[in-house]
Amino acid sequence: MVAKRDHALRITALDRQATAHGLSSGMTVADARAIVPNLEVVQANEAADFRLLERIADWCGGFTPFVALDPPRALLLDITGAAHLFGGEAALLDQIRAELARRGFTVRGAIAGTAAAARALARYQNGAIAPPEQDAELITRLPVEALFLDPATTHALRRAGLKTIGQVAARSRTELTARFGSRMVFMLDHALGRAELPITPRLPAPDYRAEKRFAEPVISREGILATLAALARSLAAMMERQGVGARALEAFFFRSDGAVRRIAIATAAPTREAGIIARLFREKIDALADPLDPGFGFDMIRLCASRTERIETCPSDFETEAERQREIHFLIDRLSARFGSGRVLLFQPNNTHIPEAAFVLVPAQFAKPMQEAWVAVRNRGEAPRRPLRFFAPPEPVEVMAETPEGPPRQFRWRSALHTVCRVEGPERIAMEWWRYETPRPTRDYFRIEDEQGRRFWLYREGIPGRETPEAPACRWFLQGLFA
Amino acid sequence: MNSYAEIAVTTNFSFLRGASHPHEYVHAAEAKNLDAIGIADRNTLAGVVRAYEAWQEIKENTGKAPKLLIGARLVFVDGTPEILAYPSDRAAYGRLCRLLSAGKLRAPKGECLLTLEDLLKWQEGLLLVLMPPHPGREAAEIGLPAKTWNQERAQGKGGPGVIPKEKFAKTLLANHQELEALLVKLRHAAPGRVWLGAFMPYRGDDRRRLKNWQRMAHAAGVPLIATNDVLYHTPERRELQDVLTCIREHCTLETAGRVLEANAERYLKSPEEMARLFRDTPEAIAETIRFAERITFSLNQLQYHYPDEPVPKGKTADQHLADLTWAGAAERYPGGIPDSVCETLRKELALIEKMRIAQYFLTVYDVVRFAKSRGILCQGRGSAANSAVCFALGITNVDPTEIDLLFERFVSEERREPPDIDVDFEHERREEVIQYVYQRYGHHRAALTAARICYRPRSAIREVGKVFGLTEDVTARLASGVWGSWGDELKASEVRQGKLDPENLVIARAVRFANQLIGFPRHLSQHVGGLVLTNDRLDEIVPVGPATMKDRFFIEWDKDDIDALRIMKVDVLALGMLTCIRKAFALIEKHEHKRLSLATVPREESAVYAMLQKADAIGVFQVESRAQMNMLPRLKPKTFYDLVIEVAIVRPGPIQGDMVHPYLRRRNGQEAVTYESPAPEHGPPDELHAVLSKTLGVPLFQEQAMKLAIVAAKFTPAEANGLRRAMATFRNVGTINRFRCKLIEGMTARGYRREFAERCFQQIEGFGSYGFPESHAAAFAHLVYVSAWIKRFHPAAFACALLNSQPMGFYAPAEIVRDAREHGVEVRHVDVNFSEWDNTLERAENGALALRLGFRQVGGFSEDWAARLVAARGNGYADLEKVIHRAGLPKRALLILAEADGFGSLGIDRRTALWRLRRISAPAPLPLFEAQHVEEQEPEELAPLPAMPPSEHVLTDYEMLRLSLRAHLMEFLRDLFAAEGVLSCAEIAAAPDGAHAAAAGIVLVRQMPGDAGVVFVTLSDETGVCNVVVWPKLVEHFRREVMGARLMLAEGRVQRSPEGIVHLVAERLADRTGELDRLSEDEGKAPMCRAQAARYVHCHPRNERVIPRSRDFH
Repeated sequence: MVAKRDHALRITALDRQATAHGLSSGMTVADARAIVPNLEVVQANEAADFRLLERIADWCGGFTPFVALDPPRALLLDITGAAHLFGGEAALLDQIRAELARRGFTVRGAIAGTAAAARALARYQNGAIAPPEQDAELITRLPVEALFLDPATTHALRRAGLKTIGQVAARSRTELTARFGSRMVFMLDHALGRAELPITPRLPAPDYRAEKRFAEPVISREGILATLAALARSLAAMMERQGVGARALEAFFFRSDGAVRRIAIATAAPTREAGIIARLFREKIDALADPLDPGFGFDMIRLCASRTERIETCPSDFETEAERQREIHFLIDRLSARFGSGRVLLFQPNNTHIPEAAFVLVPAQFAKPMQEAWVAVRNRGEAPRRPLRFFAPPEPVEVMAETPEGPPRQFRWRSALHTVCRVEGPERIAMEWWRYETPRPTRDYFRIEDEQGRRFWLYREGIPGRETPEAPACRWFLQGLFA
Repeated sequence: MNSYAEIAVTTNFSFLRGASHPHEYVHAAEAKNLDAIGIADRNTLAGVVRAYEAWQEIKENTGKAPKLLIGARLVFVDGTPEILAYPSDRAAYGRLCRLLSAGKLRAPKGECLLTLEDLLKWQEGLLLVLMPPHPGREAAEIGLPAKTWNQERAQGKGGPGVIPKEKFAKTLLANHQELEALLVKLRHAAPGRVWLGAFMPYRGDDRRRLKNWQRMAHAAGVPLIATNDVLYHTPERRELQDVLTCIREHCTLETAGRVLEANAERYLKSPEEMARLFRDTPEAIAETIRFAERITFSLNQLQYHYPDEPVPKGKTADQHLADLTWAGAAERYPGGIPDSVCETLRKELALIEKMRIAQYFLTVYDVVRFAKSRGILCQGRGSAANSAVCFALGITNVDPTEIDLLFERFVSEERREPPDIDVDFEHERREEVIQYVYQRYGHHRAALTAARICYRPRSAIREVGKVFGLTEDVTARLASGVWGSWGDELKASEVRQGKLDPENLVIARAVRFANQLIGFPRHLSQHVGGLVLTNDRLDEIVPVGPATMKDRFFIEWDKDDIDALRIMKVDVLALGMLTCIRKAFALIEKHEHKRLSLATVPREESAVYAMLQKADAIGVFQVESRAQMNMLPRLKPKTFYDLVIEVAIVRPGPIQGDMVHPYLRRRNGQEAVTYESPAPEHGPPDELHAVLSKTLGVPLFQEQAMKLAIVAAKFTPAEANGLRRAMATFRNVGTINRFRCKLIEGMTARGYRREFAERCFQQIEGFGSYGFPESHAAAFAHLVYVSAWIKRFHPAAFACALLNSQPMGFYAPAEIVRDAREHGVEVRHVDVNFSEWDNTLERAENGALALRLGFRQVGGFSEDWAARLVAARGNGYADLEKVIHRAGLPKRALLILAEADGFGSLGIDRRTALWRLRRISAPAPLPLFEAQHVEEQEPEELAPLPAMPPSEHVLTDYEMLRLSLRAHLMEFLRDLFAAEGVLSCAEIAAAPDGAHAAAAGIVLVRQMPGDAGVVFVTLSDETGVCNVVVWPKLVEHFRREVMGARLMLAEGRVQRSPEGIVHLVAERLADRTGELDRLSEDEGKAPMCRAQAARYVHCHPRNERVIPRSRDFH
């Protein structure tokens, strides 16, 4: 694993094989390559590592509810009162280590009276279990590095010849405090089990969920909708507190006979307006091909936000542009709720010269905020605007032209012959050479008006004389019709 | 027959925009039969000389070439669209230079900020072509210079002539009304000299746009002129241009989109093609010819004048130079000027007068005289050393009685080139010289030449790789295949070396474009020391801009450009050895009361040669490298001229030409001295005798190879010179092949052996830019002798001066100190009571001089701290408290000093000192409160700390000082290695040839000379050094050990040459760096987990390089 540190690509983590080759963490990739030329490296992803650590922490929740993260690559478990459930401390440690190892991790672990002692033992004496009240004895034999002090302090202690925790502990407290401050002494005591520092367990991620149970199952559509509206209000309040809005919502309907129906909606922009949420569900429920069947009634309805995003709060709601945007989003959401988001589409401009690739159709709800608004494209001064009717793939036409590089005089399209009256062009567009193995011919586009006043967008493939040696070999295509 | 002149040409000197070299345009213009071609790069004239040279070449070869127009494309920051500016005559050219200089001077290095106002100020005589913005191109770039300018301003760097912020425009004036108004404004300012440029970009509406422009031009009363706004000379370059655009815009081809050109039309088009495109407005095509005819300026009109050195009244410059020369010669030869020298001087002075370059000599003489007046050592090098006049003036030190001078090599009538004098100055004091020149000539008459930084294989593949979306990892792998950063091509084998498939489409493309990009200029920087001096304003000859360093300015042309235009330059170079020699002279004078100078060091001392013959040359100039040290015992120099050969022979030229061994054999009498000869009908058999007699029939010097081409292959002197330049500068494969054929065929046709001819050519090839002419070798040999003399007779002063001049040379301080100790010099540790910032000499009890290490050897200690420490020292510090309170140093400084064990004279070792110092509170007390603070802290009773084992002391010495006076690290590991049967370096040196042996030591130097793949490793232990040879096969196998080990064990066969040079040819290598961990542990108490700890704990940054990194050379 490599990442950019101090202006150089450096190794951040490595496997046993790499270690065996003499590589180490912190080495630059260039140096490492000098040693192992065919080294395979992967870009480090700290966020993903952290998520993985969190997932392992979640899994550890099965052993004790008190799990704390010790990033980048450690977890602290408070197993007070939990060990006996798993057959004692040794059995618990073995089980955790074995199961993690089975999942492909290399695990080091230890049990001690304090978090600091356990951390020290795990790093420097894998598998150790300190007997109660006897942490200090094991710890004193560890190197000072096991105190996890800042590098400067560790260095100073080693220089002073105090290379084990025991040697440090033997010095007087005032002597140490005068040099390294009281925090260092506290860390030492903590490691020796003389001071307590509780671990801070992870907080569960906020869960946006509201539910209502009914003593008497509800059957009526109005009752259901009213309940959804109420749930939407409490959900909205929850999201408000966290500063987020929902991009996806799910409603669960628990029927008294045990069946559960799930209905999901998505939104184009994060929202936490209860009215909108309720209305979107109403649209969706009304449009269901397979209507909501209450049977003997629902005894519980749950509404939860399955995906949320942070809402950038804008200072004022009076801005008309923002208001208009909201209305458009709402419209998109309503239409999508009714017809499915795959059927409400939006043209998005694509940054390329190639006409058929210059736009893409995407579901409106999932369209990214546009990097380049159409307005900008329009204002760029592209005189021959693109045709409204676009043929993909373009249709081959037979063309008669005066000169090889000149415009067509007549052309046959779908067996009808058109005589050219007016013409403008050519607009020369070269293909994106880096996409193809062999060069693709350049296109010369012409805007053409025939005798009936119909306008066409034709192109010739290949620049005569430069790309295609013989003029008659040029092929012509019709790519679009202007209005 | 159509006529057309292209006036809008952007070359690759508009960095990352133009995709063709200037010379490619000129050749293409000739091939396409253009009437004229105008080079106009963005706010620069940097590329025009390249174009001019190509133009001259065509003209000489064919007698006819398209007219070359010199101009610039002015790019403004105030929203004015780009304007092509072509000077019509010499005076207007000067104004264009002034205009560009003005824009550069107010901008940070490499940029040029111009406004329309600037143009209006300097417009006289300039022909102006307004280029309308390209349709569809936004003006995004406009804001960019404004942004950097604003940043500068925020940092308070504004100076005179800066452009007020409100002048910066965010958009281009692009609509018709604005353009028309601008045209009218320009026409009023420059009547009859304004055009509207038109181009046909194939955007579909070209003809409509052209009509509009025609109307606009008519309304504004200016002619319309046709251009193609060219970016490359052939449409095939469009792809490279796309790549350049992506590099410029920091994007990939995938994401670039419309930033790229839509088609490949911006190439240099033929007159027929242009006539067809502009068939609606033929007058615009005709206008190009009229435009070209208006221009009478050509670069050959740049009349260059040497600075007017003040000459005493009533004398001409020539007379003055002659007077100075004879006076200087009389001083050089107190016993009377030898007749031969007299004659040479007369001959040279006559030629100087004839070529009217006396001013040049006077100028250089003035600079050298200034340096001498300040006690700055200097010495001319290069071809200038061929001049007896330079010797008499004290510019060079090569005595014409010792070396036969070839004045023609330096100044020659037929070459019509300006003489080029390179002078080396002490590297630490060169700045004083440069500042003197500025002060003497003013910034408007003196500036540095530019160094053109071009893309090289590594930088090219890196940038191009990014454009193709290759990850940094892959490009790094591609780049890593290239050893060293020179070369002109990335080869498939190198790609494979990076374990990548050269057949892979993306990789292949990246490599192809990288190869195209190599040699493209990337940016201009200042040349190390080439100063251009003029009599008139320099900024009317070439634009001048600021360098990064304050008060430094450099012109836009590099030394080849200057040469081509015959402009004089003085190279004010820096040489570390001169600093070292001056410092040694000063030490000798102070301690031994002997006054020495470069000229007065006793000559031809046999003891000096005896020392060099033993390869005892650490620290000696030039001959201290591994290769030179191998050569010394073989060559056995006995006289000064042997040193000249020694310096020249270990160079790529003679080595590649396989001339070294023949020379050595002949010198040792193992081979008869014979001369290659032509067939009898072609010339006398001894025609090479005159050329090669000095070097026993083997060509060793650059000029011998050139002479050889003239005599043996019948080159003209101009051709021979062309051959030399073809090798030295941009490597044009075609040209080289032409010369190759001519030389080899020329020689074989005259009856020389083909094998000899081929070797001669290889040698010339090897000379490339590294060749030494004899005079240069002689100048350097002089410094070899002087430095060797100091080392032999004043070893303490030599080591001290060498240490005080670091960084320089091949060897780390540890080696210099060790070498001094081996020569009987006592070296003393850094001490708070005795050391100064510099290393110093002390008189020891036995009367000899001892070397006291200075604070500069302590890593992380600052000169300022040292000054305070020395100033407050008085009669010495009695104890640690006195140091703390009197010197007023920050705690950090004291800790560093303690770590370096600098309190020895107070009887406190490093461990105790550190522990005691850790207790003091952070900042030192202010001097005012000093009295109150003296007994601030209670004395504390301390239990003793564990004693620091000697090995840890040594290790810490290395960490802090990069050397240790206590012991060699290997001493502590000797028992361990001895148990394995490993020999010491001394034992290896004494081992018989062919013996199987193993040695272990700290890796000092790794060298991989050339591309042969052999690696030389120098190991060091407490007994000496051992040279290990690792053959390529083994390098592959033990790559990790070769590249990574700091402590290496090498096993192999001892190889002993007849001269007694011993190598260990490796058969097996092992990385034993891990053994060093043992050294920091207290004996017998190694904690059980140390090995694990080392792997997991983040090291203190300094620990990571306990052993200084070896110095590696590729």
